[in-house]
Amino acid sequence: MSHPLSASISRRLGFLIVAVAMSGASLGAHDMWIDPTTFSPQSGQIVGVRLRVGQDLLGDPIPRDPALINQFVFEDEAGRKPLIGRDGADPAGFLRVAMPGLLVIGYRSNASAVELTPEKFNQYLEEEGLDAVAALRARRHETGAKAREIFSRCAKSLVLSGSAREKQGDRSLGFPLELVAEKNPYAIGAGQDLPVRLTYENRPLANALVVAMNRLNPSDKLTARTDRDGRVRFRLRAGGMWLVKAVHMVPAPAGSNADWASFWASLTFELRATNADGN
Amino acid sequence: MGISARRAVLALCAVSAVSVALSSGTAVHAHEIGTTRVSVVFQEGRTHGSALTSGRTYDVEIVTDATALVEKIEASAGGSSRPDTSPRHLQSLLAGFDETFRRRVKISFDRSDVRPAIAYSVAPGVDATSPAIATIRLSGAIPQDAGHFTWTYAWTFASYAMTVRSGASGNLVTEWLEGGQPSSPVALTSLAPPVSRLATAWRYLTLGFTHIVPGGLDHVLFVLGIYLLSGRARAVLWQVSAFTVAHSITLGLSMYGFVSVPPRIVEPLIALSIAYVAIENIFRSELKSWRVALVFAFGLLHGMGFAGALKELGLPRSEFVTALLTFNAGVEAGQLAVIGAAFTIVGWYCANRAWYRSRIVVPASVLIACTAVYWTIERLSSSL
Repeated sequence: MSHPLSASISRRLGFLIVAVAMSGASLGAHDMWIDPTTFSPQSGQIVGVRLRVGQDLLGDPIPRDPALINQFVFEDEAGRKPLIGRDGADPAGFLRVAMPGLLVIGYRSNASAVELTPEKFNQYLEEEGLDAVAALRARRHETGAKAREIFSRCAKSLVLSGSAREKQGDRSLGFPLELVAEKNPYAIGAGQDLPVRLTYENRPLANALVVAMNRLNPSDKLTARTDRDGRVRFRLRAGGMWLVKAVHMVPAPAGSNADWASFWASLTFELRATNADGN
Repeated sequence: MGISARRAVLALCAVSAVSVALSSGTAVHAHEIGTTRVSVVFQEGRTHGSALTSGRTYDVEIVTDATALVEKIEASAGGSSRPDTSPRHLQSLLAGFDETFRRRVKISFDRSDVRPAIAYSVAPGVDATSPAIATIRLSGAIPQDAGHFTWTYAWTFASYAMTVRSGASGNLVTEWLEGGQPSSPVALTSLAPPVSRLATAWRYLTLGFTHIVPGGLDHVLFVLGIYLLSGRARAVLWQVSAFTVAHSITLGLSMYGFVSVPPRIVEPLIALSIAYVAIENIFRSELKSWRVALVFAFGLLHGMGFAGALKELGLPRSEFVTALLTFNAGVEAGQLAVIGAAFTIVGWYCANRAWYRSRIVVPASVLIACTAVYWTIERLSSSL
């Protein structure tokens, strides 16, 4: 039985987390992740691929929007296929598991435009660890200026049908910003390390903030900066669904009518309580 | 409004926003639009709860993904983040978290907040893959002399549409809002006047008629299929009566929520029923009793189709029965108009001619059957 005081603190903390997260609803700086209807489908099963936007793994469904989809695909050992779905529907896509193995699901969006006040933009840069952009704005004396931004999503999810094997691995889908798990997360157990690599335009991205959170306790975030090879390692102590995310921002290309272009990478998967060896 | 209609409206909202973004001709697109929808109606002297108010009232309806909302509310209250997702459980959770829910919803008149009465309901999604839908209704009296209404809903991270019915025309005004963003002040100077029962009856009679002619080519072809079987009035009368009784039954039962079959099942079956009737016309010309029974069964299907259309149109809660009966009467009038037109164009002159079957019935039935088979395949493929 939990202590009444700890329950009270838990409630207050919960409210604070959600209050802070929901206050971010007006910032325009939300995570997007893929939330499949199951991470462990049977062979032949149809899996709904839900898109979620929000913070701290509390999100809203985003229905299928053909104008926003640049790529919406899944890849198994037989190759890459598009995810089918009805426009305007949630889940945004469906796939049928044709064979046992690790499936890589990917959603890449076209760019959306947003204009943020200086306060909101500066806060968002700080929250996402985009120090280089903040420093560049300071050098240009733009810290007090509003920002016009275009942002695009590069979300991935790993789903396993059947039993896990070490040799099964995440694959690069060629997204502009991409997180690639360098070990099969279904082949490791809770408490083990997961190495993840972050690439921008297919090259390792150094010194970028990468954040990992578990659905059961999203406020307890793991954070790390990528090394010069774009790598971070997270010790994932809890089982269940995990979200790993990173944001990268560059000056917007000429003609885009924006100051900055941001890319939001995410990777979701489920960590099993025990690994393939039963440990 | 029913769930399937709601989902259709949500889909329409999303697609409309996309269309607007595309038509702007820019290289970038609309924000990420969620599935939440908010509609606001102001009324003069309408019933509010069980009491009749003499002044103005407001009625705000939020339609949103029930599980996503409950997860956020539960997390803010320090509870579990993966609740039981059965509609009944979600509804009881929402009702239990009423005070928590109110913290992030604000209705203001001239910058003064009001406390609405809130009713929560959760219904299952249209099919096994669709999420449960929460409908949350906030209502109350508008303070005397209030000039402007402002709305804030901070339980969503995504963009959503708020529609306000304003002005004597009853036109809908839509404002797109980011989660947590207050709406622009809405002027209350010209509220929609109360609609009389007679006006409602006429409106739904017209909607029922236009749902058949010109809006329902599939229903038109089915009625023509019924008509083409035999040139005898008795055959037409039996089939039309069976069809009318059957579709009236399922229209009523569906609208009251006793019957719920997803459109992805009903619509292909409707197309298939048209194909069947037309193909049978090619091989038979006499009315058999089992044909009447089949037409009755097909009528049950078409009634569910009519219900889907009526749910999309929406029914005024205060004149639900009037609207339901007059819509059904309008559908009947539309069908009789189709039969009347068919009789006038070919029936009265040709039905007794020797070549009537070979030159009219069979070619027309083949055409109807081909169209219906195409629709069946199209509807099946779009529902997979």
